[in-house]
Amino acid sequence: MRITAEAKSATRKRILEAATSLFVSEGWQNTTTRGIAQAAGIATGTLFNYFPTKEAIAASLLADALEQAGEEFRSGRNPENSLEADIFALIWCGLRRLRDFRKFLAPAADTIFSPLARPSPDSPGDAIRVDHLELVQSVITSHGLPASLPAVTVQLYWTLYLGVFAWWAADDSPGQEDTLALLDQSLKLFVASLGIDQGREKNGRQSE
Amino acid sequence: MDVNLSELLAALPEDDPASATNAEWVQERLREILADLTERPVPAGSLHRLWTLSELSGQIALAYLALWVRGWFAGAEVSQRRLMETNLRVALKIFHRLSYLRGAMTKLGQAAGNLPRLLPDQVTATLDRLHFDAPPMHYPLIREVVRNEFGKGPEELFLSFEKEAFAAASLGQVHRARLNSGETVAVKIQYPGIARTIDADFRNLTALLLPLRLGKDWDSVKAQFEEIRRMLNQEVDYLQEAESQRLAGELFRSEDGIMVPRVYPEYSGKRVLTTEYVQGLHLTDYLATNPTQASRNAFGTKIYRAWLRMYYAFMTYGDPHPGNYLFLSDGRLGLIDFGCVQHYGPEERELVRLAEKMAYEDRSVIPEVVRHACGVTAHDPDLGHYVRIMEESLDWMMEPVSQPGPFDFGNETHFQRGLDWFQGVVRSRHTRSHPMYVYWNRSIFGFKAMLYRLRAQIDVHQLLREERPGGWTG
Repeated sequence: MRITAEAKSATRKRILEAATSLFVSEGWQNTTTRGIAQAAGIATGTLFNYFPTKEAIAASLLADALEQAGEEFRSGRNPENSLEADIFALIWCGLRRLRDFRKFLAPAADTIFSPLARPSPDSPGDAIRVDHLELVQSVITSHGLPASLPAVTVQLYWTLYLGVFAWWAADDSPGQEDTLALLDQSLKLFVASLGIDQGREKNGRQSE
Repeated sequence: MDVNLSELLAALPEDDPASATNAEWVQERLREILADLTERPVPAGSLHRLWTLSELSGQIALAYLALWVRGWFAGAEVSQRRLMETNLRVALKIFHRLSYLRGAMTKLGQAAGNLPRLLPDQVTATLDRLHFDAPPMHYPLIREVVRNEFGKGPEELFLSFEKEAFAAASLGQVHRARLNSGETVAVKIQYPGIARTIDADFRNLTALLLPLRLGKDWDSVKAQFEEIRRMLNQEVDYLQEAESQRLAGELFRSEDGIMVPRVYPEYSGKRVLTTEYVQGLHLTDYLATNPTQASRNAFGTKIYRAWLRMYYAFMTYGDPHPGNYLFLSDGRLGLIDFGCVQHYGPEERELVRLAEKMAYEDRSVIPEVVRHACGVTAHDPDLGHYVRIMEESLDWMMEPVSQPGPFDFGNETHFQRGLDWFQGVVRSRHTRSHPMYVYWNRSIFGFKAMLYRLRAQIDVHQLLREERPGGWTG
């Protein structure tokens, strides 16, 4: 029997919903792929046809949310924004969409985005990293900067991003206001590292 | 400008009484710092500007702070002093690092900028800009702070909202907006995350200062620190500011020519304060219009009246720097910032009553005032010093009252005497006082500096007759 693309998509959706619910209620450590399969009403073996690991499920949740955040950012983008404001808005769109998943994302991100891991196409977080960096690069380019940033600059950005992400995941301040401040200051640092004058950049920004 | 902490500390004057006076030295150092600033081009990048401004005001304030703290252990043994200085350096480094204290220090920097006799005029003008420039927030950040407070962004909350701030506040910035009902309002928004660090940081600071063994002064210093902590906490809570502003607003009637912008509580929270928008000039811009003596006198009288009215209502306007006054084209004075208002409880009210008796009725109560206000008992060997300090302070405070006719607050001798008195107190380490005086002193110097810069001539007798609860019959 052939499984239609629609049925596949529906199963995938069911797995993600079941996983989200279990991650939130049981926590990251206590949730197993078997438990997720049960909650989704499928055999554990079937689940592996969709996601090879628990990390891959979390990465998929993250990727979906960040993709939607990217769309939200693009549609609501203010042409008056400085580069710093643009990247801030992009990152915060993502964090706001992930707010309900914060508690389980902290340990999940620890394995998905280990800063010590070498970038590898096999790692579940790699596609997220690549997509996000592409989006950030396009934002930077739209502000008149080179189409390709030095690897060190890209790594600086990614390190700051992960630092903000890790802080946010465990941030108990009201409205995550400490993360707001950390993100703001991290981006000031990053934009300063690009060596551009924000005042000049704002006026001279290329039109899209 | 790149003055670091060690340079500042190393450059502090020795305590040798034969050497030049500390105050002169610090003034010279301040002039150097400020002269350097005025020669530099205004930095274009926002990060650079933020850094430079906060560093500058921090350094100026630090110089004062170091002078103040150093006075505490002037008489110690050399070895002990070395230990104390090591602790002090660590404490100051921490003090310097704290972002919200940068905000507080910006305020101290503002106070320095508002003491014109101390600094050259062009420097005062440069420092004035500190009142209006503060760490900038871009709109996406603003939007999140507002959303945290109300669950809605500015674009949903207001009919319109200007994304560029029109003024800076010490810990945030102010945007113009329009309510759905049509009123134009000023929305003050605080930089996120500052408020919650105050208590923990003060605990650390107090722990670091503890080994300095400040002896008999320690309790007083601790109480003064506690008051600063309490006031900083109050200052970052815009709901409290809204309440102070509402209470102050009730004190003034339209015939006073003093206006306090109305607060919109439904658009205000702990980190966002929405008030009526008032159009007017700040001091420097007002003076640039070459106002007549009569206009300056009228505004000066309103500044004095506002201060008295609040004081006799047991509220001190603790931060009377030029950024908090607006000169309206119709002659009214606008008071626009109530974050730093001390509300007096029974103990402070008793002190006010006692001080009034000392000032207007019976100078023989001075030792009693000293006992209550400075915690110096009849058997304390320092009693004589404190009595003399109180007498000098009283003489200076009462000078405008003791002379017939209007008093010229542009009189440099009068203003300088006050500064000399204050510096003398700090230098001689006689700084024990009730914590309410930390802000009271700032308030007095702040509003007298305003009057000095206005060169206002004020009929103080008439004001006292109208404002003082017991009138004035001198």
